[in-house]
Amino acid sequence: MKCRIYGDRGVLLSSLSEAERSRLLHRVESGLPPACDEYVLGYDSILLIGAQTIAVQEWLEQTNGTEVRAIKPSGCRIIEVDYTGADLDSVAQACNLTVTEVIELHSAPVYTVRMMGFSPGFPYLDGLDPRLHLDRRSSPRDHILPGTVAIGGAHAGIYSVASPGGWHLLGHTELNLFNLDAARDLDPDPAQVFALSVGQRIRFQPMSTP
Amino acid sequence: MIEILSIGSGLSLQDAGRSGWRRFGVPSGGAMDRRSMTLANTLLGNSTQAPVLEIARLGVQVRVLSDAWIALAGADFCSLFKAGTARLVLAGEVLVFDQRASGLYAYLAVPGGFRAEHWLGSASTDLRNGMGCALRRGDRLESLRATPNITTEGVARRVAIEPTDQICENRAHFELYRGTQYEAFSAATREKFVRSEWTISKRSDRTGYRLEGNSLAVPASIPSEPVLPGSVQVPGNGQPIITMRDGPTVGGYAKIAFLKADDLDRMAQCAPGCLLSFSWLD
Repeated sequence: MKCRIYGDRGVLLSSLSEAERSRLLHRVESGLPPACDEYVLGYDSILLIGAQTIAVQEWLEQTNGTEVRAIKPSGCRIIEVDYTGADLDSVAQACNLTVTEVIELHSAPVYTVRMMGFSPGFPYLDGLDPRLHLDRRSSPRDHILPGTVAIGGAHAGIYSVASPGGWHLLGHTELNLFNLDAARDLDPDPAQVFALSVGQRIRFQPMSTP
Repeated sequence: MIEILSIGSGLSLQDAGRSGWRRFGVPSGGAMDRRSMTLANTLLGNSTQAPVLEIARLGVQVRVLSDAWIALAGADFCSLFKAGTARLVLAGEVLVFDQRASGLYAYLAVPGGFRAEHWLGSASTDLRNGMGCALRRGDRLESLRATPNITTEGVARRVAIEPTDQICENRAHFELYRGTQYEAFSAATREKFVRSEWTISKRSDRTGYRLEGNSLAVPASIPSEPVLPGSVQVPGNGQPIITMRDGPTVGGYAKIAFLKADDLDRMAQCAPGCLLSFSWLD
């Protein structure tokens, strides 16, 4: 783990091992360091906005004592996907698979939401089958619809708002990842605003054709 | 109440932004130049969170429909109404933002702020993410109060004492913190970055200011890392991008530097074409 200042804006803990990352995820839930009012997760990093190095080091020492709780036995959310994405054929070709195999490999694993970013509620999903790991498209698309199920690098994801993007498009889900109506509440509840949360497990299920 | 007669090169409702939502992928957004937004609100005795109209560059025209107290701050675009002042504007008067001046953003505040819908605790418009909508010609905006919270004398006193923004003309210097991937850039590249002069590209917006100039040798991309407004990232083409208020919350480009938090407002007012130079903070 590296601990470094992020300009005068906070402290970044980076190069986290999986164990360090999950310990920190629990730690931030039970309280942030003094002066820190917000945190942001990266792939193997966490930014503690407003925090000072010394306070973070003390906070980390407290963290070392905490046991990592067992993963909450939360269920696995099933997300129905209409596998009609524009890149199914090109992905199959690039991975040396058939389209059916791509769909099978994509819908087999249980994924875990690693972090959210890029757009509001956009989940970076761990657990993509290595046979589907592909570099991003060389030319990103200008306009991808919300609900588009896609893969990029070692991750699966779902576009949460209309945006440009460079991932490979496999299908579409009706799930609304960023609920603007709930965002209008006076005191918005993240569980209502965002369909998914960090640490949540999900699985994709091909929509049964009528 | 005011009516928009011309949207010019861009105007939107903004406030102090939404905080606490970055870990869900929601940028903080809000007024590009917070200091000027705060000043416009302060002149009328508003809360510093009150929604204001952010006016980007020239061409905006608004008509005041009923007598109203109005404050302006930021870029000095309105020839008949000096930025950093407030006054009673009579029904029918048209405010025209067509005066060439330094800066990029002007702020128009009304008593109590504009009535606006809030998303995640903020009225800031973020079109990309579906929060708020683009203002159009003919739209009418209402103020929350008919008169300022403070007396006329109070407004006058504030106009006299509140310092106005230091707006860069066509050249600006910024001192930078070293970025989280500073060491990943070669010593020669780091040197080149601070020895070069950079021009703010026309392809800049509320998400980021692109810099044109020398091309920097770029280290490998990194696993997605948190990004804040003021992060200076270097994408594959070697031309740095300064992340601004609506920029994404995470990113995989190497960050060579960070602006000082206090410099974000000054950077926001640097218009396309402005020349920038940098040096490292110790």
